[in-house]
Amino acid sequence: MGRLLLLAGAVLISLTALMLLLKRRIRTMAERYQQTPGRFPSTRGILMFLLPLPVLFAAVASLARGDLGGLFDNAIGYGLFLGGALLLRRGLRLEAEYDRRRVAKAPWPLKTLGGGVIALATGLTAWSGAHYPPAMAGAFGLVALLGCYLSYGFDPRIAKRFTDRDGVDVTNRVLEALTQAETSIAAIEQTTRDIRNAELNSRLRRIVALARRILTLLEEDPRDLRRARKFLNVYLDGAKQVTEGYAKTHGRVAMPELEDNFRRVLATIEEVFQEQQQKLLEADVTDLDVQIEVLTTQLKREGVI
Amino acid sequence: MPDYLRKFIGLLLIFAAVGVASCEALWVSCCTTAAPPAALAPRN
Repeated sequence: MGRLLLLAGAVLISLTALMLLLKRRIRTMAERYQQTPGRFPSTRGILMFLLPLPVLFAAVASLARGDLGGLFDNAIGYGLFLGGALLLRRGLRLEAEYDRRRVAKAPWPLKTLGGGVIALATGLTAWSGAHYPPAMAGAFGLVALLGCYLSYGFDPRIAKRFTDRDGVDVTNRVLEALTQAETSIAAIEQTTRDIRNAELNSRLRRIVALARRILTLLEEDPRDLRRARKFLNVYLDGAKQVTEGYAKTHGRVAMPELEDNFRRVLATIEEVFQEQQQKLLEADVTDLDVQIEVLTTQLKREGVI
Repeated sequence: MPDYLRKFIGLLLIFAAVGVASCEALWVSCCTTAAPPAALAPRN
């Protein structure tokens, strides 16, 4: 039995090392294709769903043997593991969002909470499922908590604040504008499902994709909010109202004129959104040009060039 | 401590704690002999 455990431990360690090495290698290879920094990797946190699976099997085995106490203990343990893993994964997603944005509030400490729940589940499983003494079960829980902390880290606690040119903190205003824009885009996306016209649907999907791209640009550099004020306050809201109005009306009355008008409005909105995106990209280029010019002038003045 | 080493140690600890506790729970659940139902118990 002891030899078997030792062998299993050695295999686990080598597998983990191999997995980390492969992951690192793949990430290095994929870095040049990665467009958005801080995008949430879909497999992160999956381990915490897979590792406690034996507890689920233990619950099933207890059920098969008619052991109600074992079934109860293992089911609670697995439920806690699952809850902890879900919290951890949600926390990792929030952290990725926080990393991606230049302006963000500190996220809810879901990662820490998830780690705590996983530690509790480990201790409980070790005590009631594996029949370890309470002190030993507590040690299992602490090791799990330390492992979660080392592997996933704690949640960020500091808000990323943004001040305008006058030095006024406008973090809340920026976040409010971005949330409102995201709500409008989600509303357009939702309404698209009620419109049963393939051509209009594909046009609306293109508009939503464009709006999301503009929003990503604004999230990455909130200084652009001033330039995109019209897009946020007029066009996006207008697009939402028109789409909702059309979805409500076209189901009740069939009017070809209405459809033509809506098609024309959508074409205009698409053009306007494309122009807005282009403007933001050009503004970035202009900013970079100015920075390059300033640096060149400074280097010339200091006699480096 | 380098980032990858910290993550590696973290993963090892998670494997050690969660993996061992859950495997032991399965082992105990499979190996413990359950008490037979009262109907099947031998009569005195």
